[in-house]
Amino acid sequence: MPEEISPEVLAFATEIGSSGLVTVAGGRTQWTVGGSPLEGVREVTAPSGIWAYEPEEMTVRCGAGTTLQELSAALSKYGQMVPFDLSPSATVGGALAVGRSGYRRLRYGHIRDFVLQVRHIDHKGQVVSAGGPTVKNVSGYDLCRLMVGSLGKLGCLAEVTLRCLPIPQTSKWLTGRQDPFDVFAKLYRPSAILWDGDQVWVCLEGVSSDVEAQSDLLDLEETAVPPRLPDRGRMSLAPKALKTFDRPSGNWVAEVGVGVVHMEQPNADPAISNINLSLMRELENRLDPGGRFNPGRKVLSE
Amino acid sequence: MQKSLQDNLFSDLQTLLGERARDGDFELGLYGKDGSVLEGRPSIVCLPQSTSEVQEIVKICRRYDTPFLARGSGTGLAGGAVPIGEPVIIATAKMNKILEVDLDNRIAWVEPGVLNLDLSNELLPLGFHFAPDPSSQQVCSIGGNVANNSGGPHCLAYGVTSAHIAALEVVLPDGQIAQFGDLTADGAGYDLRGLFVGSEGTMGITTRIAVRLTQNPPEVRTLLLDFADVRDGAAAVSAIIAAGLIPAALEMMDKRAIEIVEAFVNAGYPTEADAVLLVELDGLPGGVEYGVELVRSVATRHHVGNVRVAADEKERALLWKGRKNAFGAVARIKPDYYLHDTVVPRGKLVEVLEKVYRIADAHDLIAINVFHAGDGNLHPILAFDSSEKGVLERVHAAGRAIVTASIEAGGVLSGEHGIGLEKRDYMGMLFSAHDMATQDLVREAFDPDGFANPLKVLPTGSRCSDSFGQHVPDGAWV
Amino acid sequence: MKKTPFDLAIPVEDISSCVSCGLCLPHCPTYRATQEESASPRGRIALMRQAQRDSSIDDAFVGFMDSCIQCRGCETACPAAVPFGSMMEKTREALATQTSYQPRWRRFGYSFLGKPRLLRLGSIGLAVLQRLRMVPRRLPLPKLPFVQKALIDSGSDVWLYTGCIMDAWMRETHLSAQRVIESTGAGVKFPLKGASCCGALHVHAGLAPEARALAKKTMASFPGEAPILVDSAGCGAQLKAYGELVGTEEAEVFSRRVMDVHEWLAERLEQLPTTQEPRPKVVVQDPCHLRHVQKAHESVHQVLEQYVDLIHLNDDGLCCGAGGAYATFHPEVAKEVRERKLSLIRSVEAEEVASANPGCLLHLQAGGVRVRHPLEIIDGLLTRES
Repeated sequence: MPEEISPEVLAFATEIGSSGLVTVAGGRTQWTVGGSPLEGVREVTAPSGIWAYEPEEMTVRCGAGTTLQELSAALSKYGQMVPFDLSPSATVGGALAVGRSGYRRLRYGHIRDFVLQVRHIDHKGQVVSAGGPTVKNVSGYDLCRLMVGSLGKLGCLAEVTLRCLPIPQTSKWLTGRQDPFDVFAKLYRPSAILWDGDQVWVCLEGVSSDVEAQSDLLDLEETAVPPRLPDRGRMSLAPKALKTFDRPSGNWVAEVGVGVVHMEQPNADPAISNINLSLMRELENRLDPGGRFNPGRKVLSE
Repeated sequence: MQKSLQDNLFSDLQTLLGERARDGDFELGLYGKDGSVLEGRPSIVCLPQSTSEVQEIVKICRRYDTPFLARGSGTGLAGGAVPIGEPVIIATAKMNKILEVDLDNRIAWVEPGVLNLDLSNELLPLGFHFAPDPSSQQVCSIGGNVANNSGGPHCLAYGVTSAHIAALEVVLPDGQIAQFGDLTADGAGYDLRGLFVGSEGTMGITTRIAVRLTQNPPEVRTLLLDFADVRDGAAAVSAIIAAGLIPAALEMMDKRAIEIVEAFVNAGYPTEADAVLLVELDGLPGGVEYGVELVRSVATRHHVGNVRVAADEKERALLWKGRKNAFGAVARIKPDYYLHDTVVPRGKLVEVLEKVYRIADAHDLIAINVFHAGDGNLHPILAFDSSEKGVLERVHAAGRAIVTASIEAGGVLSGEHGIGLEKRDYMGMLFSAHDMATQDLVREAFDPDGFANPLKVLPTGSRCSDSFGQHVPDGAWV
Repeated sequence: MKKTPFDLAIPVEDISSCVSCGLCLPHCPTYRATQEESASPRGRIALMRQAQRDSSIDDAFVGFMDSCIQCRGCETACPAAVPFGSMMEKTREALATQTSYQPRWRRFGYSFLGKPRLLRLGSIGLAVLQRLRMVPRRLPLPKLPFVQKALIDSGSDVWLYTGCIMDAWMRETHLSAQRVIESTGAGVKFPLKGASCCGALHVHAGLAPEARALAKKTMASFPGEAPILVDSAGCGAQLKAYGELVGTEEAEVFSRRVMDVHEWLAERLEQLPTTQEPRPKVVVQDPCHLRHVQKAHESVHQVLEQYVDLIHLNDDGLCCGAGGAYATFHPEVAKEVRERKLSLIRSVEAEEVASANPGCLLHLQAGGVRVRHPLEIIDGLLTRES
């Protein structure tokens, strides 16, 4: 029989119910991504709490409303982490719904690849489980991937199970002026390479002898902190395009090897092909036919 | 299908493909099977060479209301490529070109028929590889990897196929061509790419794939640990991970597997051991060295016998050869085998393994275990001789009991083989009716009429528009 | 397609030993060339299974069986030890007996191989045509001699097998082999009168009775107990299989005496003379019947490595497409298969290719690369020294 659903998730389902508009609030750290939520709509928050953490399995199950701070605190006791690198007051569910990875994506991959299982509440107020609790799982369609970056338009995230990683023994930031693409070509799986058009910041992680050997390949100085990432605008490019892109006005920091550019300037969403758009609209219509969830915020612009 | 309709369909496909459309009796039989024990029969086999040919085939099939099914190398183990309801087979094996290697973006565009290992071999001089490495790596196609979201030993450290696919060109079930995902960091809109990977050909046919390239590690060490008690071996697996190490691979073989494999490769596997662990560590030299020592000390605490570190590339390849050919080698003891694929929490490995042996004994079958211990991915092999009377019922019953035991231990239905036909009717063990109905809603957004690889993944009844017949056909277990 | 009755009797334990895992596919030259299931070992076994079950076949079946090169690379790749080679031989034999698979003109052609004098005459005729430029250059023929150098016994430590076409066309290779063997201090004896073709091509074609007759003639021409050395991988593989083919104790004993000449040399590396620098760069092609059937390819490597910088091809010994008479009857497929090998050869830096099988050697040569028998290369280096 399918696994039992926790009372917190069931209570959240009841709260969402089967009718009326609903806005799900997380830590409000990326509150206006996709547009500001419609005012006057009933607001709900997902349950929080670490519900199952087995360090030797390197998996953690928690309420979608759990903050990253709380999650990190629980995991770091056992030397583990989930490298989301977002504001500590962001919630796990919020981070996934927005679907923007942190600056260490270069090494650790997109945050969606940390999601093993998701329980969400659908437009009928019913719980839907997708994925599975184990590190590896290909049982059925991958609704988890679909939920990441959905801004809660397809369902309200209630519970997630994530894969954890060991915290690296050494973590070191370097900075200076060196061609960022040269830096990228020289290193073996760096954690981050950030670049503001002038200065470059590199994050190296691993055992200390490796971190030292890798930093010896570079002509950079050690620094305590990474740069502040502008957060009003964000461009998503192919990694190669960073070499030649039209540099935005104002401050910006690019993730070399990834293609994300963090900017001061807000920018328009990239276009979606008509075929994809109609498939995406079809998914919205099927999973939330009444448009109940998170009105005002949009994954697909009109 | 009506004879005249079938003739017309074939003649249209022949006009498109020439001799690459086939309907000979012998040839149809060949495309009725994959690597599983299931068997069906297609109505026609098509061997396209381009995206536009795939598109035209799909359109022709739609004109004749005939379902279709994409096939890669036909090595799947869950019957995902077994034709049910006389579909047209679209075999993508001839679409096998590596179209572009783009090191600046660290991706390669490939056609779906490119073989997994061929790609990595081609990338070797450039210092990169494609990370997913199923046991059938030398023969399985990238298109098949996408359809099944395939795993492999190294997925413990690098993740399964989904994490390594940047973009896909897809011929949708209505014949339109779409691209899911792109080379940019985030893509736009919902993650159709992520949804498509692992959908087993039920959402369309991929015709071009942008795979991510992974840097080849500067240092690789492969260790073979032997244990006098399989329980110690399994406990060591958990302990290695709990110590904060994620090896590039962590594989386990039980006594019978060791014996069979050793007879084939002569790699010097210790045949007197109760279990061996094959551990691979890769990365920068310091981390690898640290890992080797950590594995050694953890294994010592768990009563390891010998720790053999492969001295060179040749020895390393030999150790892996045994592991990767283990399933086929089973035929040395019995002509048939049934390979299961479930995942359990690492901490439950010992418990479930013991259950597997008990289940096999109770059904008078031989169980052999070779598996990805690092991520709890069990691959119990039930070896049997199909000419024995009544053996198939026993195999079937034992399989169900194994899947049940895995799920009771907190596991899932499949780690990497997918659901296909084999596990379709087990889906209810893991998902509620409402979960499956929601999955079906999503699938239907792509294929409302159920033309793409019909009757796979979700049990009949969970879909509303089930137009192509019934259950697993008679004789499907032969 | 029209079905005709067919009686195939492959033992059930053989035919059911394939679990259709597919690991053989990438190691099959015809699958590599076509990517079609029917041109793969797994597919061919499934076809045999169907033919055996239905007791009938059609023309498509015959074509699928005929397209196999019989390189047996699948056997090396198969983790289940499926005896593909013997299953294919049984199928071909059934085809040759029960259908028009081997028409009279082909049988006549094969019968030539067992008649050295006729073969010699025919070769002289070909040599004339060659000089008149009346033989297309794309045909895999070496430059044929008008006059052959004599083979002269130098002792009785070992026999050197001479064969049919190879002796008619490439006797220089035998002379090189003789000199290299002699350089270890051993004396070489050539077969008695009556020795002829080993029958390998006949077995491939399904003409087992003809092959058995040739085997008996061949066995009679190597009396005594001295080892029988073979410098052609294809012939060696067949001579080693006489026990199975003929099925007598005498044949078993004979087969046990057979060695590839490199196997024998590899046991005597210290006795081989040394040469001075520079060592040429040579890429080695492992003939299938040496690597996949005799499993003796490493002895070629060991012997060659005494004299040259050896380069290996990273293709798990994939067939070059020669396959005895295969390239003659299936020129298109053979060419496509060869192209893969040639592009690998061209991707490495080597002066020439070493191939221990005359068929492969001629086939690759016709593709435009310099190929010599390993012992001709070594003989050349030793001669340079003296």
